[in-house]
Amino acid sequence: MRKYFGRKLFTYTLTFFIAATIDWLIPRFMPGDPVAGLMARQGALSPEGAAALSKYYNELFGLNRPLWEQFFGFWTALIQGDLGRSVFGHGRPVAETIMSALPYTLALLIPAILLSWWAGNTFGAMAARRKWLDSAVLPVGYILTATPYMWLGLVLAFVLAFLLRIFPLSGGYGFNLEPSLTWAFFVDLVAHWILPFLSLFLVGFGGWAIGMRNMIIYELESDYSRYLEALGAPQSLVRKYAFRNAMLPQVTGLALQLGVIVAGSLVTEIVFSYPGIGLLLFNAIKSEDYFLLQGIFIFVIAGVLIANFLVDIAYVIVDPRTRVGMRGGTA
Amino acid sequence: MQQGKTRVLSLLAVLSIAASACGTSATPSPAAPSGATPTTVAPSAAPTTASAETYPRAETLYTAGKQWGAPSTWNPLDTNNYAMGVIGLQYETLFMYDPLKDVYTPWLATADSGWDAAKTTYTIKVRPGVKWSDGSALTAADVAFSIQVWKNPALASVLWTFVSDATATDDSTVVVKFSAPAYAEWAQFLYQNAIVPKAIFEAKNTADILKFTNENGVGTGPYLYKTHADDRMVWIKNDNWWAKTALNLDVKPKYIVDVVNSSNNVALGQLIQGGLDLNNNFLPGIASLVTGGYNITTYFAKPPYMLAGNTATLIPNTAKKPLDDPKFRLALATAINTADIVNKVYGGIVTASDPTGLLPIFSKYVDTAQRDALGFKFDTAKAKSILAAAGYKAGSDGFVTNKDGSAIKLTLEVPDGWSDWMAAENSIAASAKLAGINIDPQHPDFNTVIADRNRPDATSPAKFDLIINNDIQVGNTPWTWYDYVFRQPLPNGTNETRNFEGYSNADAWALTQQMDKTPVDDLATLKTIASKLQKIQLTDMPVIPLWYNGVWSQVNNSVWTNFPSDTGAQVLPATWNGYWNMGAVLMLTQIKAVPPAK
Amino acid sequence: MTGLANTEPKLESPVGAPAAVATVAASRKGRGEFLYFALRSKKFLFAMGILLVLIAIAVLGPMIDGTDPVATDLLPMQPPSTDPGYWLGTTSFGEDVFAQFANGLRATFFVGLLGGGLAALIGMAVGFTAGYRGGWTDEILNMLTNVVLVIPSLAVLIVISSYLKARGVLFEAVFIGATSWPWAARAIRAQTFSLRSRDFIDLAKLSGRKGWRIIVEEIAPNMSSYLFMTFILLFGGAILIAASLDFIGLGPTGGMSLGLMMFNAVTYGAALLLGYWWWFIPPGLGIMATVGALYVMNVGLDEIFNPKLRDI
Repeated sequence: MRKYFGRKLFTYTLTFFIAATIDWLIPRFMPGDPVAGLMARQGALSPEGAAALSKYYNELFGLNRPLWEQFFGFWTALIQGDLGRSVFGHGRPVAETIMSALPYTLALLIPAILLSWWAGNTFGAMAARRKWLDSAVLPVGYILTATPYMWLGLVLAFVLAFLLRIFPLSGGYGFNLEPSLTWAFFVDLVAHWILPFLSLFLVGFGGWAIGMRNMIIYELESDYSRYLEALGAPQSLVRKYAFRNAMLPQVTGLALQLGVIVAGSLVTEIVFSYPGIGLLLFNAIKSEDYFLLQGIFIFVIAGVLIANFLVDIAYVIVDPRTRVGMRGGTA
Repeated sequence: MQQGKTRVLSLLAVLSIAASACGTSATPSPAAPSGATPTTVAPSAAPTTASAETYPRAETLYTAGKQWGAPSTWNPLDTNNYAMGVIGLQYETLFMYDPLKDVYTPWLATADSGWDAAKTTYTIKVRPGVKWSDGSALTAADVAFSIQVWKNPALASVLWTFVSDATATDDSTVVVKFSAPAYAEWAQFLYQNAIVPKAIFEAKNTADILKFTNENGVGTGPYLYKTHADDRMVWIKNDNWWAKTALNLDVKPKYIVDVVNSSNNVALGQLIQGGLDLNNNFLPGIASLVTGGYNITTYFAKPPYMLAGNTATLIPNTAKKPLDDPKFRLALATAINTADIVNKVYGGIVTASDPTGLLPIFSKYVDTAQRDALGFKFDTAKAKSILAAAGYKAGSDGFVTNKDGSAIKLTLEVPDGWSDWMAAENSIAASAKLAGINIDPQHPDFNTVIADRNRPDATSPAKFDLIINNDIQVGNTPWTWYDYVFRQPLPNGTNETRNFEGYSNADAWALTQQMDKTPVDDLATLKTIASKLQKIQLTDMPVIPLWYNGVWSQVNNSVWTNFPSDTGAQVLPATWNGYWNMGAVLMLTQIKAVPPAK
Repeated sequence: MTGLANTEPKLESPVGAPAAVATVAASRKGRGEFLYFALRSKKFLFAMGILLVLIAIAVLGPMIDGTDPVATDLLPMQPPSTDPGYWLGTTSFGEDVFAQFANGLRATFFVGLLGGGLAALIGMAVGFTAGYRGGWTDEILNMLTNVVLVIPSLAVLIVISSYLKARGVLFEAVFIGATSWPWAARAIRAQTFSLRSRDFIDLAKLSGRKGWRIIVEEIAPNMSSYLFMTFILLFGGAILIAASLDFIGLGPTGGMSLGLMMFNAVTYGAALLLGYWWWFIPPGLGIMATVGALYVMNVGLDEIFNPKLRDI
């Protein structure tokens, strides 16, 4: 067990190092000068003014130091939680920028991932081999899982927020409010959260439901299920075993699915101008703020690795075989 | 069990948002201004009150358009980055300049301010009775400091290349001496630069002055800092604004909430639903909303709907063949069907530019007879004949070739994602093709366009063939435009903000400098100089002005009404930097609250 | 982000690649039997029907309606009508929406085929090698898979694309192919792993054949149906990734795709709010229909290959 986690930990650390290094390269290896780009965005500076300003920015972002020093500095700073400064935010610390967006993304992602996984698996399992439910869940599931996130989000926003005005169109909380620990603010927060959550939830739900339904059918048709049935075991017991066995690949699937959902949250946040990491990333791409991009990617890499690690642990708990072998055919 | 867990998790996540959102606004807002006593901005350690603070809809103006990205500095000396409204709403200038009427209104200065007879010394009389929001009085010392501060090299200002001294001679007088009066630039300074409190800024006047963010600062203007978050900036009315008594002006909204720009889709939705009162973004399709019964209006009720704000100009790289040939540039200008861009790409919300490139507000500087004689007009046949006469023959593929027979293929770059310009460049390429000019429209990313645009050093030419640029905005003098076109010596690298085309003409530059050194009220001289410059520009065609981008402004009239329009209050309807002090503050005094429907 | 590109890691599920071992036997049977059951699988026929219609539009559409999808010479903002050039209406620039849809569908299929195909090839190469060799090779390849899985592929895309003057659909497809294979590699590795110890593989080993020949001649054919279904999932996944990339403005800089149509309709037209539904709805439905049909087809195939699952 210790060896298993030790190896995992080593792999994850190495992966993080490689991924973060690639990430570090971004602002340095982009064609064009990020400072020149920043200044050009400010329009008609006088040439004299521009000279001093570019010097100021180059010092602020540390771009005038040798590369090896920048690389070393990057890791030392990273360990201290310093992710550099945002070019487009005029020198605002990247870590601060990201921390103010992170809660929104987590509030969106964690419930969306877990609830869609839970609901999808439950419905999928119920649907398997129950004709009437199956014929309802199946088409809906396929349509949902094949829908591009942003398209669903935009249609939801158009119908529920623009036409019917049930939910707000965009933003994290009302522009007429100041954050406070009050009931009114909480309700407003939830109202703004529902549509982006729903977009993520629905697409995920479709995928899991179909996956579970198919897996259960496999299990119900497998030899052990047939054997149990032949022995006269009650249906509910057979289904219980089938469900437990079908669960394993769904857990693995969850780990692999993370990347997609993170990407999904990116486009969903854009659609709803939901002030999370995804929107931040989109703005960083648009304004070519490479230091902010770099910082966001570090967060995403770390987040996905942590989530993968959690799934690894969950897998060990769910699947007794892993506890013995820790190696084997299952991916 | 699973369900229970997720509930707890989602609850935690929501709570963490609330907590972090509170965190961002942790700086306590100034005590609500009440009564006659000036509010102090001394930060109190009191925690946020228990009740959610709301801004009543009827007292709040919602705006959007200026702010791209979270507000990050409120330092008015950081002229390119300060948050929406810092100059105009919070800090004020000595004069207000209205480009639509070409009038300078005394603001923090009085009407007694002005030049001496020799026009070498400028005396500023400080308006009496103006108070900073911390209760202290505005004095000549503050004004003198606000001029002296621009000596700080970190601020990189050209002011002190022509100003030699600024001294407060008494409590209400500042005398400014000039080494070489640059009248146009000084006039710009008077209405563009903020007067800041010496008491606060003096201590910050170091090499790190731009790192001073000045959140919740002390100003003289009609609004005070209330709060901000990553997606908004909130201002609250300053009940002790001096102009209330001095000029009988009163800003109507108690709160101004400026929403950070998001997608067009969201902005348009907010505007239609009435979540935004005033939007200053380029929103395609706005024409159909104005006529669609949504209660949405623009400055003009008919095309072009918007005031002209800047000139989108095609910049040829005059260091490269065949663009070094004025005849070729003229042919190219003549080949472009600007009407197609205006109507198809913009749906009529912009207008074609005058061949001189000067904005309509500068039309009095245009020598119309000369322009009609020399100015280019779209005419494919004429473009062809100019090319033929200049010796460019058509090759086998129908495109003209260089005089040595080599093929001509000009790239035209606009930044990726600038969809209107991307559509415009396709239109340009298509109409140039009809005249036999081969243009390859490209849209690399923004920084690549800039890298291609800028000359790497003083002697090397830039990489681009053709780009579009619109850096020069509405202002008080056409000098800015001619400085932009003719600037010498050629700037390069990151300092390159003028003369992208790399055109060198000593006469034109001498005339441009002469224009800067002509008093802004000496219209006759200015016109003479402008006419000479226009002759050079229209003959040599260093740049090709195409169309006027608008002062994008669309308003929803359901909560506030009487916004600027050509038939009503004629002021600039924009919240952009520099526009408040060009008259837009008056918009806030003119709008009216719509009485709630019964 | 780890990924736009890792879409579709619905390993062994959703529409999921089945527990293939059961499949092995079935797939060895002849083509005739496949056709027999295929023609009786409602799911397969339904999906095939939808795909054929979409392919017909993609192939024939641009031939019938030869309008340049980005030419702006029509009346802008026209609703759909029977006039040529206006079948699906026009955009606010005066572009032909049908021409965009047909051409966009082409690009969508192209990205799916090439991106999905490439991902399947890489996934197979890595999966087979890791699964068959085991040991250190397995460890190293596993590591590689993990790195690609968490690497911010979006970051890589931003860097690469800023060096290109223009990004084409081809580039997009290759990029998606190069970054979306990890889950397939894992799945194939697992299947190979379980096949490796079978008798017929041992037999093949005894006959002294080289490792790669055993993979190509014995293992791959035994899981051909599994591989094909993996490809279909990658195909659908690639289309969805492409749509996301287009939507955040990192799609092709020239040409037309369904994602780009959506992007334009939203950023440039605010199409829904202004009532130009014909500009926004078709590309979304096109993607949904294509990907949905692929997924349904996958389940249909599963039932065909695996007799136990048949409804019949």
